[in-house]
Amino acid sequence: MSALAAETGSAEPRERFDALSWLTTTDHKRIGILYVCTSLFYLCVAGGIAIVIRTQLSRPENTLVSAPVYNQLFTLHGTAMIFLMVTPFAFGLANFVLPLQIGAPDMAFPRLNALSFWVFLCGGLVVFSGVLTSGGAAATGWTAYAPLSVLRIAGGSGQDLWIVGVLMVSIATILTSINFITTVFIYRAPGMTMWRIPIFTWEMVATSLLVLMAFPTLTADLAMLLIDRHLGGHFFDPAGGGNPILYQHLFWFFGHPEVYVMILPYFGVVSEIIPVFSRKPIFGYTGLVLAAFAIAGLSMGVWAHHMFTTGAVDDPFFSFMSFLIAVPTGVKFFNWIGTLWRGSITFATPMLFSMGFLMNFLLGGITGVMIASPPIDFQAHASYFIVAHMHYVLGGGSLFAIFAALFFWWPKMFGRKLREDLGKWTFWLLFIGFNVTFLPMHFMGLAGMPRRVYTYDASGPLPLLNFIATCGAYLMAVGVVLFAYNIVVSARDRTPVGPDPWGANSLEWATSSPPPETNFDTLPPIRSERPVFDARHPELDPGLAR
Amino acid sequence: MTIGLRLFLSSAAFAIVIVLAYWFITREPAGTALLGFMAFGLSFVAGYMIVAEREADLWGDDARADNSAATGETVGEYSVRSPLPLATAAALTCVGLGLVISPTVAALGIIALLGLGALFIVQSV
Repeated sequence: MSALAAETGSAEPRERFDALSWLTTTDHKRIGILYVCTSLFYLCVAGGIAIVIRTQLSRPENTLVSAPVYNQLFTLHGTAMIFLMVTPFAFGLANFVLPLQIGAPDMAFPRLNALSFWVFLCGGLVVFSGVLTSGGAAATGWTAYAPLSVLRIAGGSGQDLWIVGVLMVSIATILTSINFITTVFIYRAPGMTMWRIPIFTWEMVATSLLVLMAFPTLTADLAMLLIDRHLGGHFFDPAGGGNPILYQHLFWFFGHPEVYVMILPYFGVVSEIIPVFSRKPIFGYTGLVLAAFAIAGLSMGVWAHHMFTTGAVDDPFFSFMSFLIAVPTGVKFFNWIGTLWRGSITFATPMLFSMGFLMNFLLGGITGVMIASPPIDFQAHASYFIVAHMHYVLGGGSLFAIFAALFFWWPKMFGRKLREDLGKWTFWLLFIGFNVTFLPMHFMGLAGMPRRVYTYDASGPLPLLNFIATCGAYLMAVGVVLFAYNIVVSARDRTPVGPDPWGANSLEWATSSPPPETNFDTLPPIRSERPVFDARHPELDPGLAR
Repeated sequence: MTIGLRLFLSSAAFAIVIVLAYWFITREPAGTALLGFMAFGLSFVAGYMIVAEREADLWGDDARADNSAATGETVGEYSVRSPLPLATAAALTCVGLGLVISPTVAALGIIALLGLGALFIVQSV
C-alpha cells in the first residue's frame, strides 16, 4: 500500500509519557523535537531578558537595572539567541526533517546525534549557571572581546562558565554537522540523487560545511582565552605581549560565517514553503543551490569587515568581498520572487511568516551592504544602527522563518495543526511589533546612540525613539504569548491531519504524521525533487526531472 | 565523480585561491594562517573522499534506482535507545565545570569519560 494512499494520519490513542525513553533516545525525530523545545525555551529566556532591556531603555536615566546587571543582561541575551536559539533550532529542525526528506531511516550516527544534543543542552546550562556565582554572569557581550575578557575581574567565574559553556555548544555543533554531511552523502534513498534533494537539505549541507570551517576556530579561540585566564597564557593580553586584535581575527573568522550558519537553514525553510503555497515548483533549483554554496564560500573571506575601525585590516579587500556576497543573496531573492510570480498564492500562516522573512531580511541585507562600505561603517560601528541591522537579519530574517517552520512542520512533528486564526494574529503582532521595535533603532544609531549603554541623554530624539521601540517589544511579547497559547489549544485538538496537510512536495510528506519509528513504511518512487507531487499527479511526466 | 566529492574539491580549490589572494593583497599573517588551515582541512577531506569513493556504490546516486535496490542487504543495526550519550554529556560537563570550580570534579569527569569510552568500544565490537 502506498504511504500516500494511506490518508489515515495518526489517530492512535495518546501514549503515556515515558521520560526515560526521551532521556535515552537516539531517534532523530525525538532528538529534533528536543532541540526545538530547548531552543524555544531559550527564546523565551532571551526574549524575557530583551523585555527587561527595553524597559530599562524606555526612558532616559532609568534605574530599573544597574550598569553591571545591564552588561550581564545583554551578554546573556546575545549568547542565548545566537548560540542557544537560532542555530540550535535550525539543527533541531534539520534533525527532524532532513532524514525524512532524503528517505533515510535515521541519521548516520544516532548516538553521536544524541550526544550532540545533550552536550548542547549542558553547555547552555553552564553558560546560564554564571548567574548563580557571586560575581554574576558573564558581562563582556556575546563577542567576549579581549582584553576585557582576559581580565579575571571581568565576570569572575561567570565569564569562565560562559567560555566553557560556549565551548561545549561549539563542540556539539561540529559533531552535528559531521552527522548531517555524512547522512546526506551516504544515506539517501534509492533514486534520491544529490540533484533531487530538497533545497532545505542542500542548505543544511552548506551550513554544515560552514560549521566545519568556522567553528573549530571558535573552539581554539575560547580555549586560548581560558589559557590566558587560568594558565598564565598571553595570547590576547597586551600586558604580557599578547595581541587583542588576534582575538578579533579568530572570533570573527568564526563569527561572520556564524551569521550565515544562522540564516542559510532559514533560506532553506522559505524555499520549501514558498513553492507549496504558490502551487509551483521552485524557480531556479540549481541557482538556489549554487547561491547557497557561493554565500558559504564568500562568507569565509569577509570576517574582518567587523574590524574596519581597528585600522589593522585591509579595508578594500574585505569591503569588496562583503559587497560580493550580495550577488548570490540577490540570486536567491530573484528565485523566490520567480517562484511567486504568477503562482496560485495562498496566505496560510507559514506563507505569511515567509513573506515577513523576505521583507525584513531584505531591509537587513540592504543595511548590510551599506555598512560593508568602510566610510559608512566608521560612522555606524558600535551604534544602534548596527543593532538594527543585526536584528533585521537575524530577528526579522531567522526568527520569522523559525515561526514559518514551526507552523509548516508542526503537523508532521505532532500529528495536528496549529490554529490558523491564532497563527495569523501571531504573525501580525510579531511583524508590526518587530518593525516598531527595530526600525527606530536605525535612527537612534544615526543620532549617535552607542550600543550596549544602559542609559542615555534626555535631550534630542532618543527618548521618543526608545519609547517607541519599547512599545514594539511589548507587542512582540504579546505575539509570543499568543503562540504559546496556540500550542496549548492546538494540543487539545485530537483531529489527525493525515500525511500531507499542505499539498507539499518533498518526501517527509509521504509518511504518516507523526512518522513511525523507522520513518517510512514504503517510499514512493523518486524521479524528481518533488517525489510526493509526482506521486499525487501520476498523469504528469516525471521525466522532466533531472 | 560524485557531487559530494565535487563539492569538497571545489571548496578546497576556492579556499586555496582565497588564501593566496589574501596573502598577496594584505600580507597579513593571522588571516592567512586561518585561511591556510581551512584550505588544508578541505583538501584533506577531498583527498580522503577520492580514496573512499573508489569503494563506494551508493543507490542514492543511481537516478533510476527504486526501492528494491535497498532490499536484501543488512547495513547495520540502529540503537533506538542508549544511555551513553546523556552520560557522556554529563561527564563532559563535569570536566568543563571542574576547570572553573574544582580540579577534583574535572578529574572525576575525565575518569567517567574514559570509562564511558571503554564501554562504547566494548558495545561496538
